[in-house]
Amino acid sequence: MDTILHYAWLIPLFPLFAFIVLVSFGRQLRGGASSVGILAAALSCVLALVIGWQSYQGAASEKVLVEWMNIRDTVIRVGYEINSLNAMMLVIISVVSLLVQIYSKEYMRDDERVPVYYQYLSLFAFSMMALVLSPNLLQLYIFWELVGVCSFLLIGYHFSKPKAMLAAKKAFIVTRIGDVGLLIAIILLFWWTGSFEYSEIFKTVALGKMEPWMTTLTAVLIFVGAVGKSGQFPLHTWLPDAMEGPTPVSALIHAATMVAAGVYLVAATYPLFLDSQTALDIVAYTGGFTAIFAALIGLTQTDIKRVLAYSTISQLGYMMLALGVAGAIGYTAGVFHLFTHAFFKALLFLAAGSVIHAVHTQDLFQMGGLLKKMPVTGIAFLIGCLAIAGIPPFSGYWSKEEIISAVYSAQRADLLWIAVITVFLTSFYMFRLFFLTFTGKAVSQAISRAKDPSAVMRIPLLVLAVLAVLSGFLNMPFAPLLENWQLAGDVGESIHFAMPEAAELHAPWLSVVSVLVSLAGIVLAYLIYVKKAIAATWIARPLPWLYRLSNRAFYLDEIYRYGLAVPLRGIGMLLDLFDHYLIGGLVQLAVKLANGLGGLHARLQSGQMQTYGLIVLLGIVLLLIGITTQGGVSFGQ
Amino acid sequence: MVNNTLLSLITFSPLLVIVVLMFTPKQMVGTIKTIGVLGTLLPLIMSLMLFAGFDYSAGLQFIERRDWIKIPIGLDQNGSLTFFPIRYEMGIDGASMPLLLLTAIIGTLAAVGSWQMKRRLREYFILYHLLLIGMFGVFSAQNLFLFFLFFELTLIPVYFLLGIWGYAERERAANKFLLYNGIGSAILLLAFIAIFVQLQTVNFGELQQVLTNPDDPLSGYLSPEYRYGLFVALFIAFGIKLPIFPFHSWMLNVHVQAPPPVVMIHSAILLKMGAYGLLRIGINFFPDQAYEFSVWLAVFGLINIFYGAVLATVQKDLKMVLAYSSISHMGMVLLGFAAMNSIGFQGAIFQLVSHGLISALLFFIVGVIWDRTGTSTITELGGIAKSMPFISGVFLAGALASLGLPGMSGFISEFLALMGLFGAMPLHAAIGAIGLIFTTIYVLRAVLRAVYGPTPSRLTRLADAQPMEAIPLVVLLGVIILIGIYPAVLSDPLQKTLDSIVPVVTGIGG
Repeated sequence: MDTILHYAWLIPLFPLFAFIVLVSFGRQLRGGASSVGILAAALSCVLALVIGWQSYQGAASEKVLVEWMNIRDTVIRVGYEINSLNAMMLVIISVVSLLVQIYSKEYMRDDERVPVYYQYLSLFAFSMMALVLSPNLLQLYIFWELVGVCSFLLIGYHFSKPKAMLAAKKAFIVTRIGDVGLLIAIILLFWWTGSFEYSEIFKTVALGKMEPWMTTLTAVLIFVGAVGKSGQFPLHTWLPDAMEGPTPVSALIHAATMVAAGVYLVAATYPLFLDSQTALDIVAYTGGFTAIFAALIGLTQTDIKRVLAYSTISQLGYMMLALGVAGAIGYTAGVFHLFTHAFFKALLFLAAGSVIHAVHTQDLFQMGGLLKKMPVTGIAFLIGCLAIAGIPPFSGYWSKEEIISAVYSAQRADLLWIAVITVFLTSFYMFRLFFLTFTGKAVSQAISRAKDPSAVMRIPLLVLAVLAVLSGFLNMPFAPLLENWQLAGDVGESIHFAMPEAAELHAPWLSVVSVLVSLAGIVLAYLIYVKKAIAATWIARPLPWLYRLSNRAFYLDEIYRYGLAVPLRGIGMLLDLFDHYLIGGLVQLAVKLANGLGGLHARLQSGQMQTYGLIVLLGIVLLLIGITTQGGVSFGQ
Repeated sequence: MVNNTLLSLITFSPLLVIVVLMFTPKQMVGTIKTIGVLGTLLPLIMSLMLFAGFDYSAGLQFIERRDWIKIPIGLDQNGSLTFFPIRYEMGIDGASMPLLLLTAIIGTLAAVGSWQMKRRLREYFILYHLLLIGMFGVFSAQNLFLFFLFFELTLIPVYFLLGIWGYAERERAANKFLLYNGIGSAILLLAFIAIFVQLQTVNFGELQQVLTNPDDPLSGYLSPEYRYGLFVALFIAFGIKLPIFPFHSWMLNVHVQAPPPVVMIHSAILLKMGAYGLLRIGINFFPDQAYEFSVWLAVFGLINIFYGAVLATVQKDLKMVLAYSSISHMGMVLLGFAAMNSIGFQGAIFQLVSHGLISALLFFIVGVIWDRTGTSTITELGGIAKSMPFISGVFLAGALASLGLPGMSGFISEFLALMGLFGAMPLHAAIGAIGLIFTTIYVLRAVLRAVYGPTPSRLTRLADAQPMEAIPLVVLLGVIILIGIYPAVLSDPLQKTLDSIVPVVTGIGG
């Protein structure tokens, strides 16, 4: 079969082309700018779907490399590689990217910088697709940084707002901390394996040529990169602030694709992690902790987008947890959750965007009763909530079920508790969000006038809603289609090689328990926010510090500010004085001395030039002396 | 054949412009400007020809060798005078060619940037072209004597350009510049003399041959201790130029006080002469000692990186931010050298070119901003992206290049320098990598505050780039991106030259 996989490299090129067109002719195109972006996104979407299908059918992986740069004996190559993991990623990226771009056409209609907006979106789509297509770590890193910059540019899109600007800056700096870890890992791996290529690195690891401590170190450093990008504790603080960006951007970059790049990275370098139990444990515990930590913060947020942001952090934590407990099922579960989460979280953000578009506020307590005014949006949001809460048959049920099952199979009681408690917290805060927004009474005029958006925004919502329901059927315990697809390649082999004895422990009761736990969360939210049978302040009143801790996100921002940023500034100020008075003062002294010696004033035309002339003259005299004395002797020969 | 004179033609073509300018009446301001700017195209075109004709498979090329001065040094047995011939020797290889080309490009663009200059234009352009001669010469010279001559030749025009056309405290800055560089030159001269009196040659090729070949009869003339002393002296002399902490304070004044085109040249080219000299003369001639000293190179590199970066985060003036940023970025060059392997050297040379382009771009923009607003103080600016979207966009792009964004030249250079150092001193390299975070902090702080955020009412009506301003911006950004995407354009010509430096170095490195 002649495979269309040969043309995979075209997928990122469509948006790149759109970006170049928009940079060159954006101002002339104006309204047409969105069409350029959407057209390019549609083309890559079609191609990505075809390639995804072929890959699912079992088309062999493909890799193409060309020389990029030579450093004496070292050849650095670039190219692309298509395998089951990145074929799936391409489907996610291109589908969500297309839907978001269509949605944005209406959402951003009144903005005067629409061409710039589509420039950034196209550049992002290109970079993100190129990231997953990268056959080696260096190339991945290049696009890893580029998606970060696109994220930065889009968070700060409304650059006149100081908050947006600060959020953009914070996102860049905090993720950069992680990036440095990744960069160090890449370089260390190069020195140990002589290559940036995944396949070469895995080969070296498989042959046992890496020292165990080096495997652990590099795996952990790669994970540090993933922590920054995927908003894991303690580098998650940029993600809630990133909500300053336009909402469709949050859906695409800060929910479905870029923030999942960290999870993708761990999955793509999985054979390395499999070789180090320490690294896997660090992944699992960081993920688990992040999941519950972010969920606790999500309980008390009052901004619709910030709740969603913390839920994203929490869900990404789940994915890391799954990858960390490993085994065939853990790996699949992590990747599977990435897949379903992309759709239902994009759905939630776009639905939230419709709400914000209609009522011009993000404050939950300024909303209410919107279900009647915006039924399509409301139902779409409800589907998203049911999916993330893990209620069958919505997609999130299947993937989360698998994560919990993986944790159970790995017999990690502590992590299992965390996972199940987080299920409860998640369904509670998501339904708190839903009830506060869509039920109850309208509290403002804006709400009574609100209505569902036009078809341009509705269609992406509907498509995502369908995906949020259906995408889970791709991998059910009795029909593990995704598992068969994803484990078909080398990764599957190395997992079976690394942990041959790990078998899945089936526990149907566990599934029942977690659904019940989730329902309990929904019921509690219902009792508090709809029935008002329980006061919303029943915990906050007796334990105000607990409430504040959650509401202020455990004061982590403050800790960083006063623990890092302010001291750094202080050191900077001190050094500035040191530099100015001590180092600079030495010069003053020297200048005075030099002037004193010459007995001249520091005048341009006279003093300094003469001093300088003296030095040169002295030098030449010395030169001549040197030549005549020393040279004379040995030149006689 | 042209190849036998091309380097001299490039180097001395500004002389033609100087002569023409001397005979142009100083009232003809437009003509003077036109001659001054168009004149820089001569060396630029010839440098591009040189680049096109550069043979990747050869080392030193475009060699010129002529008898020049004969110095009487004594009498031979027959009683007649013996002379020591100082030859005029020029040539170029993979390490100097990129820098020569960079000089030609920046030379033209900074001349375009001089279009805004108002006072005493004839003198200005005469000095400007004199400076060009010196810079071209430094990168083409093939013996110590010529190198020193050109090296010194750059000081005089900078001194006057700074002292006459600079900002308020120009005289003080000019004096400080001269004092520091004078001391550096004195040390350099002493080191050169010390080399010369022992080995009786000033030719680079011969010196390298003698110094790195233990079997050479002359090699024994220099004991390892003597060599070590020489290397350290060279390190200090070139270190002042680079500049390394704590010899950097003169350079801050130059960056703040000199007119924008001079700062472009200064930061893009003149600082690079220090690094070039350290490689060409220091490391190339004394590889064993450089290897012994390499931990110190790394330590000084790290100090530069962090000292510059931390200070850049608290500066109020954009120019000071960029000045400290230069100190920080030059630290990366030292890290590349400290690696003592081909990857590190390549990174260092990439960093010289890359920082040259990026700092020229950023200083040019700061000049434009000054031109529009009369200030470069960060807190007095803000929100200018509203009325100057093009300039602001390029500024942000330049800032991203400066913090090492992949796809632009800064990433390649920092990546290679660090990668090289990881092969030699992983711990130092890891610390250096952390410097990237600091770079991000100060770059974003300065640029975002100056350009974005709310627009004060007095900054709402600023003119965006004029064509004369857009050209340098687009060219510089284009080259920065070209190198970032296709680094082979710079790395391929380098290979042969690295071959000639590295085997010697790694030979002892084991």
